[in-house]
Amino acid sequence: MSFEEISHTADVKIHASAPTLEALFSETFRALMQVMYGAWRGGSVIRNIRIESTDTESLLADFLSEVLFVSEVESLVFSDARIRIDGLYLNAELIGESFDPVRHSGGTEVKGISYSGLEILHDANGYKVDIIFDV
Amino acid sequence: MLEGLRRVGVHEWEVPVGYVPGMRVAGRFFLSDSLAKTLEPGAIQQLANVATLPGILKNSLAMPDIHWGYGFPIGGVAAFSINEGVISPGGVGFDINCGVRLLSTPLHYRDISGRRDLIDELFRSVPTGVGAKSPLKVSSQSLEGMMVNGARWAVGAGYGVEHDLMRCEEGGFLKTADSHFVSPKAKQRGIPQGGTLGSGNHFLELQVVQEIFDPDAAKAFGLASGQICCMIHCGSRGLGHQVCTDHLKILEHATKKYHITIPDRQLACAPVTSPEGKAYFGAMAASANYAWANRQIITHTTRQVLSKMFGIGYEDMPLIYDVAHNVAKIEEHTLDGKVSKVCVHRKGATRAFGPGSRDLPADLISIGQPVIIPGSMGTSSYVLCGTQVAMDRTFGSTCHGAGRVMSRTQAKKNLNGREIAANLLKEGIIVRAHSENAIADEAPGVYKPSDEVVQVVHEVGISRLVARLSPLGVIKG
Repeated sequence: MSFEEISHTADVKIHASAPTLEALFSETFRALMQVMYGAWRGGSVIRNIRIESTDTESLLADFLSEVLFVSEVESLVFSDARIRIDGLYLNAELIGESFDPVRHSGGTEVKGISYSGLEILHDANGYKVDIIFDV
Repeated sequence: MLEGLRRVGVHEWEVPVGYVPGMRVAGRFFLSDSLAKTLEPGAIQQLANVATLPGILKNSLAMPDIHWGYGFPIGGVAAFSINEGVISPGGVGFDINCGVRLLSTPLHYRDISGRRDLIDELFRSVPTGVGAKSPLKVSSQSLEGMMVNGARWAVGAGYGVEHDLMRCEEGGFLKTADSHFVSPKAKQRGIPQGGTLGSGNHFLELQVVQEIFDPDAAKAFGLASGQICCMIHCGSRGLGHQVCTDHLKILEHATKKYHITIPDRQLACAPVTSPEGKAYFGAMAASANYAWANRQIITHTTRQVLSKMFGIGYEDMPLIYDVAHNVAKIEEHTLDGKVSKVCVHRKGATRAFGPGSRDLPADLISIGQPVIIPGSMGTSSYVLCGTQVAMDRTFGSTCHGAGRVMSRTQAKKNLNGREIAANLLKEGIIVRAHSENAIADEAPGVYKPSDEVVQVVHEVGISRLVARLSPLGVIKG
């Protein structure tokens, strides 16, 4: 289970892999928070989000877009997500803390989650995805 | 050069129909041999993908700062027929009306050289970086004003002077804005961010006019050698990002509903005249207006700082011009000798209207539109002038900047923010940013040299060099 930033000229491209779909979503979520706020873990503020989509790739893009929205309007930096996926429904409990300019200014704003080349692959080893964040 | 492409001019290349399946027209792009060394296959694929969209006119085009984006390539320009064509957020991007403006001042190099206190004061006054909130209390009524009237709202609210509006593309607001199609979520993001710069490649930079290439145009624009100017580069912030996210979903359904085949999901689109197309167009225009209001508010803050520190009058700092880099608009262009309205998408490209264009203020109509091209951190920026060649060949468009060549991962690995800032300081350039990564991410070496990019557009004739400006101090997100 991991994620890494791979080379992309203009934007941030993340490669994530995990044994389950939930874990894959969680990896991309951690990548998103790291890109925006730098490497940091902590907090006890909880927010719940619910997403319904038309396909699994959209479910991932919609989930991350919702995380972006909540993080920005509530000034929250999330460190962990407990995710449950049932078909094309997702429930997530996000755990984090209030944005602190001193500790959370190490990153760059993500403007959106791109659908470009977005495809979740599944084989005997689990799930993997490449996803582009527009920065 | 990549295989399968055909040279059609010294700096001009064709992507023939058939490069990807379903192309309706050929692709055309402008590039010098030396810039071609860093051309990515992904960018050409994206240029070819755009050529598959219904109703595309003439060519799918790209400027010499072309690079790999999502949907359209960065540097991409395409115009679509109103009746048979489509509108796509993939041709605008998440940062709707990310754009740039240049403000002049009566100051000279000797007045501000080495003045770290000035850069510090600007850094304190203009909110920058991730999580930055505006000190303004934007009411929902003000937000509506920003979305409907853009820079015009800002000037009415005391953030500028009438003359500023004459020096903005479209007078600083698109009349086609319809805020009903802007979701409550987008509005919620827009309220706390009015007057904030953002992060990434956004910046505010003090520059000195270093070289004048075209004295007549420079004089008409208000530029003189040795003069200090301020360049402001930012966009529609979270409001625009959310509008793009929301409407991409709506347009994904519309793509299927109208049986449009697209090679990339990020090219989701709808007929310009369809309800879904009109909804996106109205919301996108409202976001573009928000961005114009935003740049106007930052201009006001900048003028206040300069007024306070140098005792110069607010009105002694006229705006040179303001241009959008990411936008879709209905414009009039001549096709086969006939003037028609078309839907032009510019994704990382700048409008460059030539002399005689109706959108130009009376004092510039015989000259052409000022085109502002920001350099990367530590490198020159340029002011160019729009031309008739651009009107004839590129739907009145030119390049928008330097264009990245190094990825962010490489930049972080190879470059150290602190060292870069120290080296820039040796050259007399002061940098303030919230993190060292932000400096490394946008360092001079990660971009194509802006000098080469503008030289290509000048030689092709789609805009003309007017002036070169060197950086003295920059604040970044």
